[in-house]
Amino acid sequence: MFRPIVFDEKVCDGCNMCVTVCLMEILERSPEKGRPPSVAYPDECAFDGACWLHCHLRDDGAIKVVPPLPMRVSVLRGKEKKGKGAR
Amino acid sequence: MKTNIEVVPIETDVLVIGGGLAGCMAAIKAREYDVRVTVAEKANTLASGCAGTGVDHSWAYIPPIHEKMGWTIDDLVEDHCQMIARGFIRRDLLYMVARENYDRMLDLEKFGINIRFDDSKIPGRFRIVYQFHSMPSSFNFDGRDLKLKLTREARKRGVSIVNRVMVVRLLTAGGRVAGALGVGTSDGKIYSFKARAVVLSTGRANRLTRGVTGVWGNHRIPVNETGDGRAMALRAGLPIINMEFYSPANYSIGNFELNLGSPRNTVQPAAAVTAGDGEVVVPRTRFYDWDNLGREKINARRNREKALAARGNARPSYAQLTREGKGPFYLDLTGGTEEEIKYIEWSIHNEGKGSLFLEYLKKQEGFDFRKDKLEWLPNSSEIAGTAASGLVVDGNLETEVKGLFGAGDEVGGVPWAGAPGAFTMGWHAGELAAREAKKLTAPPEAGGAPAESLKEQVSGMLDNPDGLHWREVEIAVQNLIDYYAGDVRSGPLLSRGVERLREIEKKAVFRAENAHELMRCLEVRSIMDNAAMVLTGSLNRQESRRAPFAFNRVDFPEQDDKNWLAFLALRLKDGGFTASKLPIK
Repeated sequence: MFRPIVFDEKVCDGCNMCVTVCLMEILERSPEKGRPPSVAYPDECAFDGACWLHCHLRDDGAIKVVPPLPMRVSVLRGKEKKGKGAR
Repeated sequence: MKTNIEVVPIETDVLVIGGGLAGCMAAIKAREYDVRVTVAEKANTLASGCAGTGVDHSWAYIPPIHEKMGWTIDDLVEDHCQMIARGFIRRDLLYMVARENYDRMLDLEKFGINIRFDDSKIPGRFRIVYQFHSMPSSFNFDGRDLKLKLTREARKRGVSIVNRVMVVRLLTAGGRVAGALGVGTSDGKIYSFKARAVVLSTGRANRLTRGVTGVWGNHRIPVNETGDGRAMALRAGLPIINMEFYSPANYSIGNFELNLGSPRNTVQPAAAVTAGDGEVVVPRTRFYDWDNLGREKINARRNREKALAARGNARPSYAQLTREGKGPFYLDLTGGTEEEIKYIEWSIHNEGKGSLFLEYLKKQEGFDFRKDKLEWLPNSSEIAGTAASGLVVDGNLETEVKGLFGAGDEVGGVPWAGAPGAFTMGWHAGELAAREAKKLTAPPEAGGAPAESLKEQVSGMLDNPDGLHWREVEIAVQNLIDYYAGDVRSGPLLSRGVERLREIEKKAVFRAENAHELMRCLEVRSIMDNAAMVLTGSLNRQESRRAPFAFNRVDFPEQDDKNWLAFLALRLKDGGFTASKLPIK
């Protein structure tokens, strides 16, 4: 059902740190060295983000945590940026 | 086809069950006594527990600040007892937490956690903010990588960490703890631990509600915290308290469900809550003037009275306001200065799931606190007063089973002990467990071949193609709790709930296709035990108790302190529950 974790296989180096730390044990190491893990239990993700936090290539987009639609925040968009200064 | 399951024997001196904040602190301290220390953790200590992805606040009595201001530790304790617990608290344990957490924060600093800031004007160069008490008493610190640093410190000290093992059974012999049994969550082996002392620190009891998002349920608390400690303690014959205080959480940032809590918490001082028409429901606040914090003398009693009076305004009943037509509500930081918003984003990034939240907000929602607002929505139910439920321990954190200690959120009766409770109780329990372990020349022998009995139970689940999938059972139990232990409870409803839960327990013959699913089945068994305690506790407490406990019985609508200012202790005996009162002094 969900697609909680998205790997960019061009960036990921297969270190498997995400697999090591995953709170819910949903990731499985790839049988091929240097390849990203697979998401064995996509519906069991807790969206805690430990995988992303411990990824040494996260700033390059190796891993992305994607909250499912029901968990996305509800936003009231403002207009232009307000001036600085506290009320 | 009978599955042949390997048994892995592990002998240690101090076994710590649960490797969160409390468990890691216990293990770190216990090693100072030169005993063998083993942590058994269901996931991985690097990222497990409520602080798995960070914690940004930790309250304490801070002598360099508070002593100078004439605010005593008794003032802090009084604040906590009145403002947070409304008298429903183990004062002795709270006192210990208040007294010792400053030293624990200094220990964390030694382990590589930053608690001082160059731009701070406060003595110690700390960042100290209001959180729970009438005076600022919370360290706001760089806690994002806390579990990483604690794991490193534990390893450095020679703690043996056994990750991916779910402990499910305590072993005792003649009134003493003898060890525990666990199951490997990926290897499916039985782990048979022999120990001379045990610290039980498995945290909170989550997964009792379907929740508001329809995903797991309550996402605020780690989804794998299934109250395993409470369940195994109950099955070992120990009493558990306060499970009846289970109620809907108040409103917070909707859907994502992280720990930001009220606007006066991580998102202070700029956060206000406004209604859709712009009306201010909860106004923004101010930090204590940091030029005066730690320097000016204050009137502690007047401060407390003011704070008690103001507390109601800062925590309205959004459910009630919604019924009055005031919704929708929004978390509004648009009135903050640039400096304030940067501070808040710093604090958020250290809080659990906070860094991920900021990344998601920015990249996936294009959100900016300076101009956009987040809707404030109902959050999922959980044990009220956060972790006030749990084990009965004496002033030394020892249960009635000799050598078995509790620490952190596993311990009952200390509302909002949270991270400070974990740090202080963990440290204390580790020390006491190590000293207890040194008294014995060998671990006690638990009779009766318990590993064989667990093997059979586990085999039963693995060789059972006709059994139920764990998620079916979990959802059935959650539906029950959401209805019978909801906002409004009554004797007949609760009795019916208890009956239906028994039926589910009988029907819940599990099937597991591998070790991972086996672990989920075992989690659901813990969930069922916790559900039974929520219902039975509720049935036995013949009163209502106001917020923050939000325990409402239509058949006993008044709060009855004369008879019920007491912890209700549930025990399993001969297949049924007994209940007894532990009066609060």
